[in-house]
Amino acid sequence: MQNQNTLSWINSSFPGLNNINPLAQGGQKLVFSAEHPTEGAVVLKIIHPFQAAEVVRREILAVQTVAAARVPKILDIGQVDTPMGRCVWIREQRIIGMTLRERLQSGPLSTYELFKFGTQTLESLADAERAHIVHRDVKPENIMVDQNGDYWLLDFGISRHLSMSPLTPLTQAFGKFTLGYAPPEQLRNIQIEIDARADLFAFGVTFYECATNKQPFRDGAVNEIEILRRVENDSFPALLLPCKESTSLADLVNAMTQKRRDHRPTSVSEVLIWFQDIAKLNARS
Amino acid sequence: MKLHLQFGHGMMEHSRSLIDEWGGGTVILSPRDLNDDQLKRQAKAVNKLPNGFVMIDPQFYLPHADHERLVSHAFWPKSYSTGSFFGGPELAKLMSDLKLLNDQLDTSETILPGLLAVEINDDWLATQDAVLEEALATTFGRPLVQTIAVSADACRVESQVARLLEHAEKFKVDGYYLVCEHPKGSYLVEDAAWLANVVDLVAGLKLNGGRVTIGYSHHQMLIASIAKADAIASGTWMNVRSFPPEKFQQASQEEIRTRALWYYCPQALSEYKLPFLDIAKRIGVLNVLAPRVMDPQVAHLFGGGQPSTLGLSEGAAFRYYLSSLKRQVDESVRDSFDDTVTTHEDLLTQAESILGTLRSHGISGQMRDFSDIVAVNRAVIAATLATRGAILRRRWSTL
Repeated sequence: MQNQNTLSWINSSFPGLNNINPLAQGGQKLVFSAEHPTEGAVVLKIIHPFQAAEVVRREILAVQTVAAARVPKILDIGQVDTPMGRCVWIREQRIIGMTLRERLQSGPLSTYELFKFGTQTLESLADAERAHIVHRDVKPENIMVDQNGDYWLLDFGISRHLSMSPLTPLTQAFGKFTLGYAPPEQLRNIQIEIDARADLFAFGVTFYECATNKQPFRDGAVNEIEILRRVENDSFPALLLPCKESTSLADLVNAMTQKRRDHRPTSVSEVLIWFQDIAKLNARS
Repeated sequence: MKLHLQFGHGMMEHSRSLIDEWGGGTVILSPRDLNDDQLKRQAKAVNKLPNGFVMIDPQFYLPHADHERLVSHAFWPKSYSTGSFFGGPELAKLMSDLKLLNDQLDTSETILPGLLAVEINDDWLATQDAVLEEALATTFGRPLVQTIAVSADACRVESQVARLLEHAEKFKVDGYYLVCEHPKGSYLVEDAAWLANVVDLVAGLKLNGGRVTIGYSHHQMLIASIAKADAIASGTWMNVRSFPPEKFQQASQEEIRTRALWYYCPQALSEYKLPFLDIAKRIGVLNVLAPRVMDPQVAHLFGGGQPSTLGLSEGAAFRYYLSSLKRQVDESVRDSFDDTVTTHEDLLTQAESILGTLRSHGISGQMRDFSDIVAVNRAVIAATLATRGAILRRRWSTL
């Protein structure tokens, strides 16, 4: 959590923002909530100066390129001198609600919530796919549920532009990922094999977790090596839900969480249609 | 799924009569077994039959081959060096010669030449790309079918198959001619990993949007129905029901050897030498071996006499095998993935039951007995269900 000094220079550097409060502090950025006189609730991100400029540029580009209804918009960008040095700042639309991780603390999603979560998140990922962007970090922490029960996809910080050369060196044994959600090809930094199917794998794992409140790769694992081993070797459990289209949903999750990329559906848009078909059938029951 | 006729030794008359009897079909011609004049005569004879079609397998698996008849064809390069061939004018000449030959034979589709992949690696994939690029520039004027010939070792390694399928996403062809060397030169395949990978290849290529024909096959490959293969190709002798690459290397003595005749029992998925039919008759279980749809080629074996003394001609055995297999192939693919899987499972269950009865009476198909193979095919179904089942179920009607 940022100390009083930090809040002091933040307040003085951004006089146009009110009620600035710390939200999170990661290795690469400081994140604050704030109120903007015309834009309302916003998020202010201060990127650490050691973060490579190209990485920052690509994150901004990703969010600006993905024309998704439920990806928070970037409202403004600038630079500011701070005690850490000269930093890039980003002001984004703030979603009032809770992360999916926080929501799951009160139990798995209901069938209604699951179908809404699935449809809306797949719509955002399909928009990213159309923009040739792979999110690469789909997980409950990066999805917000707003006050209307809508699901927002956040944090394109490690997204990959398929039309641009990768920033992670090819010689690096491991890529950037969240263990337990990233597919084997992302773990092993096989960059030529990174495409939207990596997001389908992570979405499939997240969907399963939302439905059962269980994380098959992480739950009970003694360490990260075991999680890695499970992702690469263990079969993904079958999903069993108390709804009419349980078998169809189980099929879809099974397809998305295949270890080999070529065993998964070829695109997010294909999965979105598949999911919508299941949702329609389920609604008829 | 369809049954194509894989041309091999002694197939000239069989292929004409079977296509005629079946009311149509496709023959895959073999330059190894036919000289230029025979190719043209055979193609003409088949093409004039109602719904008769021909294709020609260039058999360019081993370009250093010195099989006399194979290398005598005009399209076969006079000299070959892997390093320069695929980047130079020789490949263009091979393509234009094959175009001419396909035109002369009036083929329905053009099977492109493809090297045998001892290993799926960058070099081999580059040759596939080069062939395809040259083929697209050649304007064959008929659908293009890419040969994918894979060694037994490569075919049994999942990562090799995965690499091939990853690369195949770039291929833009109308179909694939999949030729996989059997492990250890076996006839029936006991290696479930090999067979699972073949079925996975078929499924991957189908989902990639191309039609798939599996060359050099026999009845065990009925399992390809669960990946909705478009055709399997089979023929007379063992060396056209499996793929022994060495037969394209040099002239073999196989043609002049005396070989045993086998009777195919479709419901047992097994083949038997005639003396075992004699024993079956003596014990009183010959009816178990009789085909459910009686075929005039073999009807006399079940008419009351001792089967081996009544005899079964080589030609009758082949035609009966291929007609029986065709009936099974015709019934193998159903309207849904699950129905197709069930159909194959039922086939295996039925075979297992019959084989149990026969074996309890000492009746064995020996090396062509399916008893130990039932479990192999079941394992392949399980593997396919786990990895491809959901997508095949979803996309079945579009494949």
